[in-house]
Amino acid sequence: MADRLKIKKYLKKENTRLFFSGIINSYSQIFFSTNRLFAAIVLVVTFFDVYAGLYGLLAVLTTQVCAYALNFDKNIVARGLYGFNSLLVALGLGIYFEASPYLFLIVVLAALLTLFISVMLQGVLGKYALPYLSLPFILAFWIFFLASWNFPALGISERGIYTFNDLYTIGGDTLVRIYEWFNGITVVSSVKVYFISLSAILFQYNVLSGIILAMGLLIFSRIAFTLSLLGFYTAYLFYMLVGASITEADYSYIGFNYILTAIAVGGFFIIPSKLSYLWVVVLIPLVAIITTSLNALFVVFRLPVYSLPFNIIVLTFLYILKFRQKFSPRLAEVYIQQDSPEKNFYSFQNHISRFRYDYYKPVKLPFMGKWSVSQGHEGEHTHKDRWKHAWDFIILDGKGSQFKNEGNVPEDYYCFNKPVTIPAEGEVVEVVGDIHDNAIGEVNIKENWGNTIIIRHDDHLYSKLSHLKEESISVKKGDRVKTGQIVAKCGNSGRSPYPHLHFQLQPFPYIGSETIDYPLANYIRHKDDGFEFRSYASPDKDDTVSNIESNSLLKEAFNLIPGQSLCFEISNGEKKHQVNWEVMVNAYNKSYIHCKESGAVAYFENDGDLFYFTHYKGSRNTMLHFFYQALYKVPEGFYKDLAIQDDYPLNVVQRKWILWIQDFLAPFYVFLKSRFTINCYHIDDVLSPSKIRLLSTSENLIMDKQTGRIDFMIDITDKGIESVTIHTVTRQTQMKQCAE
Amino acid sequence: MEKLKFERPVISKINAGVPDKFGMRTFINPVTQIDGIPVKDIIDQYGSPVYVISEKTLRSVYQEALHAFTTRYPKVQFAWSYKTNYLNAVCRIYHQEGSWAEVVSGFEYNKAIDNGVPGNKIIFNGPDKSAGDLKKAIENGSLIHIDHFDELYDCIQVAKDAGKKAKIAIRVNMDTGIYPQWDRFGCNYENGEAWDAINKIMPDESLELTGLHTHIGTYIMTPAAYAVATSKLAQLAVRIEKKYSHHIRYIDLGGGFASKNTLKGAYLPGTDTCPSFDDYAEAITGALNNSDIEYGHMPALFLETGRALIDDAGYLLGTVLANKRLANGRRSLIIDIGVNLLFTSFWYEHNIAPAQYHQNDYEDTTIYGPLCMNIDVIRAAIMFPSLNKGDHVVISRIGAYNMTQWLQFITYRPRVVLINMKGEVEVIREQETNETMNMLDVVPKHLKRS
Repeated sequence: MADRLKIKKYLKKENTRLFFSGIINSYSQIFFSTNRLFAAIVLVVTFFDVYAGLYGLLAVLTTQVCAYALNFDKNIVARGLYGFNSLLVALGLGIYFEASPYLFLIVVLAALLTLFISVMLQGVLGKYALPYLSLPFILAFWIFFLASWNFPALGISERGIYTFNDLYTIGGDTLVRIYEWFNGITVVSSVKVYFISLSAILFQYNVLSGIILAMGLLIFSRIAFTLSLLGFYTAYLFYMLVGASITEADYSYIGFNYILTAIAVGGFFIIPSKLSYLWVVVLIPLVAIITTSLNALFVVFRLPVYSLPFNIIVLTFLYILKFRQKFSPRLAEVYIQQDSPEKNFYSFQNHISRFRYDYYKPVKLPFMGKWSVSQGHEGEHTHKDRWKHAWDFIILDGKGSQFKNEGNVPEDYYCFNKPVTIPAEGEVVEVVGDIHDNAIGEVNIKENWGNTIIIRHDDHLYSKLSHLKEESISVKKGDRVKTGQIVAKCGNSGRSPYPHLHFQLQPFPYIGSETIDYPLANYIRHKDDGFEFRSYASPDKDDTVSNIESNSLLKEAFNLIPGQSLCFEISNGEKKHQVNWEVMVNAYNKSYIHCKESGAVAYFENDGDLFYFTHYKGSRNTMLHFFYQALYKVPEGFYKDLAIQDDYPLNVVQRKWILWIQDFLAPFYVFLKSRFTINCYHIDDVLSPSKIRLLSTSENLIMDKQTGRIDFMIDITDKGIESVTIHTVTRQTQMKQCAE
Repeated sequence: MEKLKFERPVISKINAGVPDKFGMRTFINPVTQIDGIPVKDIIDQYGSPVYVISEKTLRSVYQEALHAFTTRYPKVQFAWSYKTNYLNAVCRIYHQEGSWAEVVSGFEYNKAIDNGVPGNKIIFNGPDKSAGDLKKAIENGSLIHIDHFDELYDCIQVAKDAGKKAKIAIRVNMDTGIYPQWDRFGCNYENGEAWDAINKIMPDESLELTGLHTHIGTYIMTPAAYAVATSKLAQLAVRIEKKYSHHIRYIDLGGGFASKNTLKGAYLPGTDTCPSFDDYAEAITGALNNSDIEYGHMPALFLETGRALIDDAGYLLGTVLANKRLANGRRSLIIDIGVNLLFTSFWYEHNIAPAQYHQNDYEDTTIYGPLCMNIDVIRAAIMFPSLNKGDHVVISRIGAYNMTQWLQFITYRPRVVLINMKGEVEVIREQETNETMNMLDVVPKHLKRS
């Protein structure tokens, strides 16, 4: 009972929080942002026209309340995705018409209509995975604009004419002077137009608003800011080329079309890249042409085109991209929208290097213990042409011999009669098990694959195990099999002059099918001087390899289950405090650790071989941020001195100021690097361990020169993650698991 | 040219066409060198008799055994059975190879600690563990294998007093279809005693059941018996999983693998009849892989193999003291190796070979040791070539038990030398001297001459 009350209370609090973030985000969402500071700036700018500002706020509130009342997705509401269109409509109405109680009613109705159109377009365009951008605003505003001709009560506002009066009321003499000074400054006319274009998004027409918005844009995103300039100046040059001038009022009022198109295509809906920037340059002239032609069309109805050209081009472009037949990382659509071109870019970079194989089925080695590759891909004997992506495995002794005694009988060979296991979960689709094992040196060319099992893992993904021992297969066609299950013994049947295990992945369920180049998920390469962790790679000839033998202690420590709570006592010499985290799972089945106090979350995965963090969201000043860095990627098997390296997303660990510089260059050149290294340092006992120590490092590098470093020492015991000691240059902090 | 060696004429019966039970004729290959070192040189330098251990053989047999198991089962751990041979050098070689220690007394326990084995890598077996031993083992986190209930109660008490959780396993005895059934160690499986013990251990806060242990016998020539033993232990593990949701960490199959020696009374030589490591491994891992133990919680497999690992690496070199005709006309040979140095001669037909080339005439011979005791017989009957006084003989496959069960009797125990990986001979145990013998003697005052 108490729990239910607690949940109810929590939900109420959460709903309130989402409601208010929806209000504030409606302001920044105009520029595709959910940055709070930027939102505040936009909010202030809207109040440069007090009435317009008030009506804007009214529209946002109306939308929020209605969206809640109609029980729309609260997460969409919270991102301001419904609110920003209503806000634009209200700003427009507020500026055009005289303030009155009557207008108050109109704004409420307009907000409602905008919300309806937003939701409707969300449904229609959502099917094509397209955003509705500012289409709801345009439609709603046109409707009210056209209707207003027949509503005489709506008087046309004269405030635009008497701006000084308004400014005086808000900020007195000082503001008026600042305003005048800004409008009077002699800057290059194009820059002035740029600022005015920005302010025009909020139906204003002054340099000051533009400058403030530009600063907001810079604070929000360096990439977006760069793109706004790129878009604007491309249009500027294009107009020069065709002999028109962008400085003319007609064009400038819709100058924001170029800015918004550039941000949307160059960095927001597409991962910022050289190619996306190039496309901006190509698309902007098209926007200009469409603007001109639409103007010619809509002038008949005395309708302004507003942001329609931007909507048309962006939607068209995003839609046509979906017809590409191959994914290209050079021009990739954003799948997980983090409302920031920078975040999207760095996450994508990180994702591409870390999770390239995310959609691959994990395939393991089909045996126990250490085996060696006697013939790899494109081997010299039989792995050729269409069958080149296969492996032959044998067992070698310490002296490098594959047999004992004279090697005259199959039994002398170490691999003969050894268990063969299932490489990945699936269904047995083909079994041949009655072919005799050959004498050493003889081959059976008639039934060249010998005893064979084929397992179906997925559409067009089958694995085949061949040359198995006669009558050793313990599964039959149709059986479901699990990874690691023993199903046969290694033999010497078929085209096999000496015992070995042939393993290949193939697209078809037939014996004799061609092979495909498919990497093995995670395995250990045994070298004379230690171990090497290999992930989504293919063993080469003469490699000695084994599956990752998981360590019970590591496995249990990193088996974080939703609902589990983690508590650590933090001490750094003088102070002591506690942090409480909870392991949670979201609707997409992604697990994460949630820090209640700071609200930070760290998403993680556990694939049985590795525990790794995929994403961190929240303040950098939390213990969870350290924890995320310390245990970024942990092997679940203990191999002495095994080291694993990985890269952090830059925006999560690099210093802010240097990132600002990087942001400008990001799509062209990345000079920063954030490197993670972990080392299996000590285990007290491999088979029944009670204590394991791992050492990890987080390094920040500029042009490969180290600029920052944190060392972590992680102790694992049967209680789980017992402690994490954090050594930075200046101090040492210890996180210790709380006593029960 | 060197002067040809005098060979005594021998009169032997011609039995052409009638094979004896091992075939047409006997032939003994002389063993003139071990790992490339001439036997004569070893005796010249280190005296006769002398034990020789080949590090090369030691390591390669260990690797062979490990290989046989690890290629069939992922988690395998050998623990060196100290009682088989606890010369420090030998133990350390095994520890270097990755073997843990299996000890059966406080003395062996201390020896293992002195050999640098971490406490948690020592398995403490046997029916005799004092409270002091248990305390030490619990504090070091060693694996204590409980032999009987009285020991279990001791263990609980000691653990409580020490305030530390004891890691224990129980030793289980069972019917595996072989004779004799060893039922004097551990708790019985069939009559439920073992399950009874588990039910006493599991609820106890001071104990952690880490493993299950059995040791079905010695010199087991039937690998199938191990498969039975493994299945029975696995069934216990499954019952524990079901009742207590507790996953035991290891299953210990003990020792008992036969070496290639020929048991007395065996019809065929041991080299032909004894199973290989592969045979044992196949039986044990097969049973384990096919058991009902939860797939994700497969226990580690522990093995305490002693004899089969070391027997081949040990040699005993000796010298002919005399030739003698017995009253019944039978030939006998007296060598300087007695049963006090070759304890295993009570149950093996040891492989004895001359250390130099010899004539190919063989005579039924009895080989006696040097002791002034009637029982001192090394081989009661062997077709052996005639050797002269001062000739050397090599007894091979004696690595197990002889260097622990040897008796100081009548004379000093000899040196033990190791032929290391580089082919150098090193002494790993010195010959006893008068001082060593007198060191522990205490002569009462009234018997001392002043």
